[in-house]
Amino acid sequence: MKEKFFERKSVQSVTASIVSILIGLIIGAVVITIVGLSDSSLGIDSVKEGVSLIFAGLFSTGRNAAGTLTWGFNGQNFGNMLFRATPLIMTGLSVAFAYKTGLFNIGAPGQYLMGTMTSLMIALSLPSDRISPVIIWIIAFICAMLAGAVWGAIPGFFKAVLNTNEVIACIMTNWIAANLVTWLFDISNLKNEVESTKMGYIYKTTYNGVATAKLGLDKIFMGSQINAGIIVAILFAIAINIVINRTTFGYELRACGSNRQASEYAGLKSKRNIVFSMAIAGALSAAGAALYNLAGNTEFFWSTYQSLPAIGFNGIPVALLASTNPIGCIFSAIFMSMLDIAGLQLTNLTAYNEYISSVIVAVIVYLSAFSLVIRNMVVKVVNRKKEGGKK
Amino acid sequence: MENSQDYVIEMLHITKEFPGIIANDDITLQLRRGEIHALLGENGAGKSTLMSVLFGLYQPEKGQILYNGKEVKINDPNDATALGIGMVHQHFKLVDVFTVLDNIILGAETVKHGFIQKAEARKKVEELSEKYGLHVDLDAKVEDITVGMQQRVEILKMLYRDNEILIFDEPTAVLTPQEIEELMTTMKGFAAEGKSILFISHKLNEILEVSDRVTVLRKGKYIGTINTAETNAQELSNMMVGRPVQLEVVKDEAKPTDVVLKTEHLTCPSHIHKNKKAVKDVSFELHKGEILCIAGIDGNGQTELVRAISGLDRKGVTGKIIINGEDVSGAPVDVHSKNMSHIPEDRHRHGLILDFTLENNMVLQRFKEPQFQTRGFINQKAVREYSDRLIEEYDVRSGQGSITIARSMSGGNQQKAILAREIDRDKEVILAVQPTRGLDVGAIESVHSRLVAERDKGKGVLLISLELDEVLSLSDRILVIYEGEIVADVKASEITAQELGLYMSGAKRMERKEA
Ligand SMILES: Nc1ncnc2c1ncn2[C@@H]1O[C@H](COP(=O)(O)OP(=O)(O)O)[C@@H](O)[C@H]1O
Ligand SMILES: [Mg+2]
Repeated sequence: MKEKFFERKSVQSVTASIVSILIGLIIGAVVITIVGLSDSSLGIDSVKEGVSLIFAGLFSTGRNAAGTLTWGFNGQNFGNMLFRATPLIMTGLSVAFAYKTGLFNIGAPGQYLMGTMTSLMIALSLPSDRISPVIIWIIAFICAMLAGAVWGAIPGFFKAVLNTNEVIACIMTNWIAANLVTWLFDISNLKNEVESTKMGYIYKTTYNGVATAKLGLDKIFMGSQINAGIIVAILFAIAINIVINRTTFGYELRACGSNRQASEYAGLKSKRNIVFSMAIAGALSAAGAALYNLAGNTEFFWSTYQSLPAIGFNGIPVALLASTNPIGCIFSAIFMSMLDIAGLQLTNLTAYNEYISSVIVAVIVYLSAFSLVIRNMVVKVVNRKKEGGKK
Repeated sequence: MENSQDYVIEMLHITKEFPGIIANDDITLQLRRGEIHALLGENGAGKSTLMSVLFGLYQPEKGQILYNGKEVKINDPNDATALGIGMVHQHFKLVDVFTVLDNIILGAETVKHGFIQKAEARKKVEELSEKYGLHVDLDAKVEDITVGMQQRVEILKMLYRDNEILIFDEPTAVLTPQEIEELMTTMKGFAAEGKSILFISHKLNEILEVSDRVTVLRKGKYIGTINTAETNAQELSNMMVGRPVQLEVVKDEAKPTDVVLKTEHLTCPSHIHKNKKAVKDVSFELHKGEILCIAGIDGNGQTELVRAISGLDRKGVTGKIIINGEDVSGAPVDVHSKNMSHIPEDRHRHGLILDFTLENNMVLQRFKEPQFQTRGFINQKAVREYSDRLIEEYDVRSGQGSITIARSMSGGNQQKAILAREIDRDKEVILAVQPTRGLDVGAIESVHSRLVAERDKGKGVLLISLELDEVLSLSDRILVIYEGEIVADVKASEITAQELGLYMSGAKRMERKEA
């Protein structure tokens, strides 16, 4: 018996994600309309522009002399979208991987911070006049992953040994990371080499030549920040997909995540595997941080220890929107970045502010948590169609 | 003459499909007022599905339901409750962290000015529990009480809602023999009061004892309804399985040879009271070619003994365990399982990963073997072929074969899958813990004959069982465990059920010569 197109699980998941996204976009459009109509400085024409930018901001190329919006391929928008998606893919993968092995990794922000700190400190402190910047890049990247792995392994270890809930341990390690990073940057001798603002510090790796290779991508997407990081992220997604679904290692991790007692009964080392899962999740988040911070054209602004990096938390909606499918994470992360770009276009080209796009993202985040519910709704509709057809 | 007024519930020509399987195919069931009506069928025959249709959990594709002769539509359990239908599910539906009282009133709370009237509810529950002799501790949390008490909570839930039609889905599967006796008496009491009862079981003696009529299902189809007084165990089992069933175990005299599993002064701490001993100085030898049974009433140290022998528990365990000549005391599970298969007591918790496919469950211990992987990559084709072979050989039935999710399979087929996996691992020792729990006669017959066949191939089978019938018919030698000690060591052919009962209850013990 061959399954029909809409009866396939993967198709249903994708449909559910698309439904969430559409609802998010529509609510965004409604907000734009209400704001536009109630604000005397905006009006009906601004509403039309706002709504079109929300849906198609990626293809906006600005305004022409007559003052109307122009549309077309915008390399800068595309490039920046892919560049912003890079770390999001990684944190999304981190959450998705942990989820597939039965763990909820809410520790991505902390792991991301540890990756940020490690990659920057190494990239800024190794002498680039004696060591090739490429080598420095690689060392910084690997060390960042190791730091993230350690940071992820800590909640994993507590869960394995003391059976504490990984969510609580992750929240704690997030804040420990935040304070640790503040403190270490504070006392580090890197201080002389960076600009220090009143509120915090800005670190960049441009000046010593450490930067991710562009591989000609900047020629295709002129004027954007894009580099080969996006390719690395996509390769990671493919690799994680293979590890989870095709290898004995992935099988073992999934088994332990799904039923710890049965796994122990089968002679699998469930404690070790929980630590492994969390360590890999941590390494993925930190790798995302390294890809972002080693780009060479980014700045790390760490104003206070009272916030955690949003990219870490956004890994959760990225993963949920993708139904925790690693390949799906690529698309959901790119989509979330597209909304960012649309938000920027909205601010630049109209009198709206960019927070409208945050509202849309927030709605999608909420809906993505309900993606399972939405999927069940899809299943119901499909089944009803099927029964109707039979009668 | 009988007319439709006599029936309180009629389910007519019910059909219900699941992906790949017709769980109920044109089934008719008529329930008389005040009768105990048994529903009999093998695992996966569709009994639970039919009852779920009546309780409003599933909507049938075809068929109608009559209540007192009038057609009704039962869209959800609330509709069922409104008609006075109550159900005790096969797997209880209680909130573990709530108290017994809260569980009973949950969803049917009396509320005054927005406050739950607990005192009133407590009084009503106490009266009911008094009246029917259903003893429960109202303030205990559900997670702390025994399975038997959980079931009484489920029954009280129905009574609290004044249900007149009571559905019991395999209520005896999880109970001890004493609790089963009590349940039978309770059910008869309900029927005498005019309540109508649907009782699902595949234990024939229970059905013969308690029911007025029996409806038999087989593979989703309706086979027939007969008066209990006019039938017998053999006829019922033949109807249920569709062929003559061997109710007795057929086996030759055992020919035990070398020792293959041995414990020396094994002592294990209790799971419940950490500072007490659950297994005390247990020494025994299992030989190749014999089925050795550890018999005893539940909770006399069997669980701890099994966990020690299988390597799951190591902390606090003293004494020696020798499997196939190798001292494995203190070693992890994989060292124990190198020469031992293990059919675990709890198939959901230990036996299967319910969210995995059947094929992935089939290779749970073996996926790292060279035939199933190359350099760390799973050889999906080999796994599929292997799983298909086991399914075929052990007659494991499921909706979609190898790719069925284990959770959607019926209990008996889940057990068959575990049995297939463990026996096919082809180890010297088979540790079988309650291998037929919750299975129907057809499945029990096949489990028993498999175990006997393995014995005849020269395997040593260590059987842990609570069922007297099984202990007496299947084993060659019996050790009785009472409060963690071995109190008897006898040949199965030389002991009667009564005598065994005395040992099991601690009323008698045998002096053993040191092993
Ligand atoms: N929710 C479900 N989804 C898919 N298949 C199911 C579901 N529930 C039951 N089945 C299948 O329907 C058949 C009948 O199951 P069930 O009614 O539970 O049998 P019984 O209670 O007689 O053992 C089985 O083959 C089982 O695998
Ligand atoms: Mg059932």
